[in-house]
Amino acid sequence: MKKMTRDDLEKCAQNTCQSTQYIKVGMSTCGIAAGAQDVFDIFAKEVKTRDINVNVCKTGCIGMCHAEPVVEVAVEGLPAVMYGGVTKEVALRILEEHVCGKRFVNDHIFDLPVRR
Amino acid sequence: MEKKVILIKDTGFKSDTTRDIQSLFLKAIRDIGAEESIQIVRAADLGIYNQGVVVKILPDNTVYTHINSDNIDQIVKAVHKGEVLENLLLKDRVEQTRIVLRNCGVIDPENIEEYFSKGGYTSIAKCLFDLTPAKVIKEMKKSGLRGRGGAGFPTWMKWSFAANSFGDEKYVICNADEGDPGAYMDRSVLEGDPHSVIEGMTIAGYAIGAKHGYFYIRAEYPLAIERVENALKQAYERGLLGKNILGSDFSFDLEIRLGAGAFVCGEETALIASIEGKRGTPNPRPPYPTDSGLWKKPSIINNVETLANISAIFQKGGDWFSSIGTEKSKGTKVFAVTGKVKNSGLVEIAMGTSIKDIVYNIGGGVLNEKQLVAVQTGGPSGGVIPKKHLDTPVSYEHLQELGSIMGSGGMIVMDEDDCMVDISKFYLKFCVDESCGKCAPCRIGGYQMLSILNKISEGEGELEDMDKLHRISQAMQKASLCALGQTAPNPVISTLRYFEDEYKQHIIDKKCRAGKCSKLIQYTINPDKCKRCRLCVTNCPVSAITGDREHGYTIDQEKCIRCGRCFEVCKFEAIARV
Ligand SMILES: Cc1cc2nc3c(=O)[nH]c(=O)nc-3n(C[C@H](O)[C@H](O)[C@H](O)COP(=O)(O)O)c2cc1C
Ligand code: SF4
Repeated sequence: MKKMTRDDLEKCAQNTCQSTQYIKVGMSTCGIAAGAQDVFDIFAKEVKTRDINVNVCKTGCIGMCHAEPVVEVAVEGLPAVMYGGVTKEVALRILEEHVCGKRFVNDHIFDLPVRR
Repeated sequence: MEKKVILIKDTGFKSDTTRDIQSLFLKAIRDIGAEESIQIVRAADLGIYNQGVVVKILPDNTVYTHINSDNIDQIVKAVHKGEVLENLLLKDRVEQTRIVLRNCGVIDPENIEEYFSKGGYTSIAKCLFDLTPAKVIKEMKKSGLRGRGGAGFPTWMKWSFAANSFGDEKYVICNADEGDPGAYMDRSVLEGDPHSVIEGMTIAGYAIGAKHGYFYIRAEYPLAIERVENALKQAYERGLLGKNILGSDFSFDLEIRLGAGAFVCGEETALIASIEGKRGTPNPRPPYPTDSGLWKKPSIINNVETLANISAIFQKGGDWFSSIGTEKSKGTKVFAVTGKVKNSGLVEIAMGTSIKDIVYNIGGGVLNEKQLVAVQTGGPSGGVIPKKHLDTPVSYEHLQELGSIMGSGGMIVMDEDDCMVDISKFYLKFCVDESCGKCAPCRIGGYQMLSILNKISEGEGELEDMDKLHRISQAMQKASLCALGQTAPNPVISTLRYFEDEYKQHIIDKKCRAGKCSKLIQYTINPDKCKRCRLCVTNCPVSAITGDREHGYTIDQEKCIRCGRCFEVCKFEAIARV
């Protein structure tokens, strides 16, 4: 692989390599212990079989360990939100209601006040 | 146009009215015909507690509290027009400030490109091409960053000692041993943002003139190890580690060493011995590792969280970093908040935030609306902070004044069901188990203190035992070889300081308020309250409850192991604990 230079890094910093439509599953030890792997698998499978244009990816721990598995969802036209306590059933609801239907799912949004 | 979303949540303690309020909102939205542009959703948690009905409007992020049915039309209209209602607005919101966890839960830790998109590795580029090692250390001094591994030693000073030490080889070591019970911040950083630690170590290597570095990670963290390995591979492939990093003259190699999970191996001299392949026991200091460390060469040992701060400091500047926090404690601290708290998890706050804000505003308060008694920080080397000192701001100095320490970041919330004698016994037992046995004060002192505590918790204690505990503590603090033994008595000293009455209760009255010390309690069944439902009989793990529906039930005190199961399951409060 080509070795990088300082210019390459600065160019990469301008890129937002994440797509605008995504489902991020918190997959650190805490999330996986709470069942995040199953949730990730179901998202990945359903997005593929239903041919939905959304990027399913994994990420680290956001810190809301009491609410694991935690999933962040962003789709066009809606602000990004975080869902907690995501079981397989909730995952399917998120896909149907939020990603396809553009309506947030009740009772599972966890909003964390964070300054970055 | 982006849709507006109104999140609602009843944050009061009493009955949850979220659904009723939602229908009122729905009606108000329908009345102005805005169903298409405004959605109303019930949230599970808005990170705001005890403020009545709360609504948060996305994407504007305005928050209104203490809403009642009279405000609803007004709010819906304001949202529709894009206006803000000043009188309902929540001011002074307690927020987390994220520096260390800036990328955790945001980027894919297994994809270096995502770290690049957050400005990753631009800090090391800046150091290599724009700054001399001396200037790097100067910037660190400006930032005021202090070690997050426990002792709070200024990071720049450690680096400058090592930079000024003479040696043909020098080493950078990342301490990811994390042995405190209840703490897992370092694991989360390694799992969620491994490149930030790699970049921090590389900058440290450049600053002190090291060519090699080691990650010392406990083997119990397999996922962290896997993600660090993967990150190292990606960094090597792109020339961000190895020979001539980014085409500069600087070369730096990183390797992983696994620890077997002994608490004492987190101590720096024991950690060095362990990397060298020797038995992990501490050695006297001086010489300090910055003079003679790994393989007798100058070495620096920094904590994971310390290292994760460094690339942020060089991205935004030392002045920016030192603008956050208190006079002597700069930046943020990550805590793993656990115990009897509603929202257990990782919390990163600016130094100076009060413990009360962490527990009540970020943590959501105590579980089951019980009374908070104390908060423990610093793990087995720390102490308890009683309720009356909860307003104390978090900083190295303030916590030390109270007889606790910042430690690596465990924070355990304790309520009325926690017994302070039991707590100090727990931590001391941990240190006795983990003591390496090399020096007598720790090996013998710890054991003796633990036997005294056991005696007290069994109702066999005498008043003079409290003096004895103090005396042995002093000996351990003064004469132990390493900080494990020196700090092991801290939980005992601090509970004695704030909860002397509770110790006396155990010693004189032979009572345990919290019902934790099994030798001091007894469960009995009150026949007047008992409805003969047999729930306790079926739940007792040792079949100690006998009787029949006609004559009622009794607990055989000989058989009873005092687990409290019957006490918990009885629906009629018929089981008494005395
Ligand atoms: C018994 C014992 C256990 C320790 N465990 C850890 C640990 O798990 N992680 C850590 O970073 N520091 C630990 N320390 C502190 C280290 O010795 C050292 O001070 C620290 O890693 C220095 O890094 P810093 O300057 O970045 O804080 C421990 C100290 C003692 C005495
Ligand atoms: S204080 Fe305890 S852990 Fe430290 S060297 Fe002595 S015996 Fe070992």
